[in-house]
Amino acid sequence: MGRTVGIDLGTTNSEVAIVENGQARVLPGEEGDLILPSCVGFSDTGKLLVGRDALRQYAAAPDRTVRSIKRWMGTDHKTTLRIDSASDETREYLPHEISAMILRALKQRAETALGEEVTQAVITVPAYFTDAQRQATKTAGEIAGLEVLQIINEPTAAALTYDLRSDETEQVLVYDLGGGTFDVSVVEITGEVTEVLASHGNNQLGGDDFDRRLQLHLAERFRQAHGIDVPEDAVTQARLLRAAEQVKITLSTHGFAPVREAFLGSKGNTALHLEAEISRSDFEELLRPLLEETLEAIDRALADAELDPEDLDRIILVGGSTRIPLVQQMVEEHLDQAPVDGVQPDLCVALGAALQAGVLAGEEVESILVDVIPHSLGISAAVSTPMGIMPGFFSVIIPRNSVVPVSRSEIYSTMSDRQTAVEIEIFQGENEIAEENVPLGSYKVEGLPPGAAGSIQIEVHFDFDINGILTVTTTEKGKGQQGTLVVNHGGIERLSSHELKQARADLDALFQDGLFQPDETLLSSAASDVEDDSIDVETSETIPIAPELVALLTRARQALDTLEGEQVEELQDLLDDIAEAIADSETELIANLQEELADFLYYATTQDS
Amino acid sequence: MLSPYDRLAIPLTATPAEVKAAYHAKLREFPAHLHPEEFKEVRAAYETIRKGGASADDFFFLVRPLDAKLDPSAVEALRQRAIAQLQVSWEEMIRETF
Ligand SMILES: Nc1ncnc2c1ncn2[C@@H]1O[C@H](COP(=O)(O)OP(=O)(O)OP(=O)(O)O)[C@@H](O)[C@H]1O
Repeated sequence: MGRTVGIDLGTTNSEVAIVENGQARVLPGEEGDLILPSCVGFSDTGKLLVGRDALRQYAAAPDRTVRSIKRWMGTDHKTTLRIDSASDETREYLPHEISAMILRALKQRAETALGEEVTQAVITVPAYFTDAQRQATKTAGEIAGLEVLQIINEPTAAALTYDLRSDETEQVLVYDLGGGTFDVSVVEITGEVTEVLASHGNNQLGGDDFDRRLQLHLAERFRQAHGIDVPEDAVTQARLLRAAEQVKITLSTHGFAPVREAFLGSKGNTALHLEAEISRSDFEELLRPLLEETLEAIDRALADAELDPEDLDRIILVGGSTRIPLVQQMVEEHLDQAPVDGVQPDLCVALGAALQAGVLAGEEVESILVDVIPHSLGISAAVSTPMGIMPGFFSVIIPRNSVVPVSRSEIYSTMSDRQTAVEIEIFQGENEIAEENVPLGSYKVEGLPPGAAGSIQIEVHFDFDINGILTVTTTEKGKGQQGTLVVNHGGIERLSSHELKQARADLDALFQDGLFQPDETLLSSAASDVEDDSIDVETSETIPIAPELVALLTRARQALDTLEGEQVEELQDLLDDIAEAIADSETELIANLQEELADFLYYATTQDS
Repeated sequence: MLSPYDRLAIPLTATPAEVKAAYHAKLREFPAHLHPEEFKEVRAAYETIRKGGASADDFFFLVRPLDAKLDPSAVEALRQRAIAQLQVSWEEMIRETF
C-alpha cells in the first residue's frame, strides 16, 4: 500500500507534506521549492503546465492559464483554456477537474521525493467551505488518483502544528487569511487534544480581492496620467493584476512601492506606460473595509464559543495575507492582544494535514482532533405565528459549530387535516427563511395515514459523518421507517465509478504526454529554431532556455520584419540585451527580459488592430 | 442507554476539571474516525454535563413547539413573501411545505 500525505490545496499556493517518525515535513519539488503555485495552463506548444511554469506565463497568456480555481469549487463554472498558441482549439474544464491537475502534480511531487507510491491523502479546505465545495474537493482528489481519507479545516490543521507552552488548557484564536478565503476559528488545546469551539469566515475573501482592488486603483492612476482607460483585453488586465500583486507584497515591508509597466496602452503612435508610486496608506485605505468584515467574524466566532477576547491565551496568524501590517494591527487593536506569528504561516496548514494523515494511517502521532460543522443544517418547516401558520421557515436540526460526527433528531407534525405526504427539503445556512439558505436536496414522504392536523408525528433524523456526508432519515412515529436520503452536496453530482475512471484516464493522458515537466531545451538545440544574427548563440551552449523563450524569439524575429521605425530599434535593443544575458548566464535577468519581450510583442502586435 | 456520568465513567460529584479529563480520556479511547457512534455518545454526555441541564434524551422526544419565538423582522419578510406569492394557493403552499 502506498503512503498517506497531507495536502493544503490553496487558492494561490498548494503544498504536500508527510509525517515520518512523528515529525511532519513539507515535501519539496525537484528544485527544492516547497510551494506549488495553484496555477494550471497549457504552454505555447500545448504542454500541460502546473505550478510555477504556469504562473510565469499567466500575464502573457491568460487565455491558456488559470489561477485561483478554488474560488469556483462546488460550482459548475467552466474554464475555457486554449490548448496551444497556434490553433484556436480550446478545452473546457470544471473547477474540480483543474484542482485534480494540481493535486495530481502534488502527488507526483510527493512520489518523486519519497521514491514511493502515494495513494491516500487528507486534504484541507477553508473551515467555512460549504458541503458542495467540500465534495468537489474530494472528487478532485479521487480524479487525481488519491483516496481522500478526510477533508479537514485549514485553521484546525494549522492549530494542530502549534506547540503548547504547558499542560494547561489554552484557548487559541486562529486567524487565517489566505489568497481566496478567510477563516477564524476558536480552538481549545489541551495536551494532544485540539478541540474547535467555533469557526466562522468568508469563503470569498482573501489576498485576491486586495489584488483586484489595487488593480482598479492602478487603472485609475493610468487614466489620470494619460486621460484614457487601460485597454480591456485579457493580457493587459492580467499584467495589471500581476503588477498589483507585486505592489501589495512590496508594501508589506516598505512604505512605498514603485510601479512601472511599459507598453500598457497607446495613444496614436505613442506607447503609454504606467509609472506610479503607491504608498502603504493608499493601499490600506482600499483594504480597510474588507478587513473590518473579518473583525466582525472574529466577534461572532468568539460569541459562538462563549468566550471574551480576554479569555484568549494566544492569537495565531495563518495565511500569506496576514503578512500585511494592517492585518496584524487591526487584529491586535480589536482583541487588545498582539498576535504571535505562526512558525511557518504558509506551511503549517499542510503540516497539520500531514499530522492528521498520520493519525488516520495509524502512525504514532499523538494528536486528537475534535472539529465542528461551520454551517447549520435543517429543513423547511411551518410555524404558527400571530398571522396564522407560516410555512418556509428554516428549522435547524444540527446547529452550526456542533462537533462532528453528530446525529440529531427533531419531531414534526402534519399541518393540515388528512395530510398524507410531506416534502422534506434540506438546507444549509443561517437564515431564518429556509429558501435563503443553500439547498442540499429534498424528498417526499408519502402514504401517511390520514388524520387530523398535528396528529401524525414524523421524526427527522440527521446524521452528519466525519467526511461531511449527511444522511437524512424520516420515521413516522408508530409506523416505522419511511425513507432515507443520503445528501452529498448541492452542486455537482458525485461521479459514478465509470465517470471517475474516465476522468482519471483523461488526466493520466494529459500528464503522460510529457505534458507536465516542461522539458527545457538547451540553447544549442534551440539555435536551429532561432537562427537570428541578433542572438549570439555560440558562447552559451550550456544555458537551458525555456521553450517559451524560444517561441518568443521566433515571434520576435518575425516581428522585426513587419514592424517599423522606433519599434524595430526598441525590439532590436531588447534582443541584444537578451543575447547578452544568455551569454552571461544571468537567469534572473533572462526571465525579466523574457517578460518584457512578451509584453512588447503583445503591445506591438495588437496596437493597430 | 448510559447516563452521561456513566458514559464518561465519573461520579456525579466530579469537578469540571475531572469531567474534562475524563472526556479527553474517552476521546483517546474512541477516536471519531474509528468509533463514530461511541464518539457521539461521549460528546453528547460531555455537552450535557457541561450545560448542567437535562439529559440529551429529554430533548430527543420533545415535540417541536409550533409557536416558536419569532424575530418580528423575519415574520415581516415572510409575510411579504407570502403576499408576493398570492398566485400560489394557500393549499398548495401547505402541501408543498411541511
Ligand atoms: N508578503 C506578503 N504581503 C501581502 N500578501 C502576501 C504576502 N505574501 C503572500 N501574500 C498573499 O497571500 C496569499 C496566499 O496566501 P496562502 O498561500 O496562505 O493562501 P492559499 O492557501 O493559497 O489560499 P486559501 O487558504 O485562501 O485557499 C496571496 O494572495 C498572496 O498574494
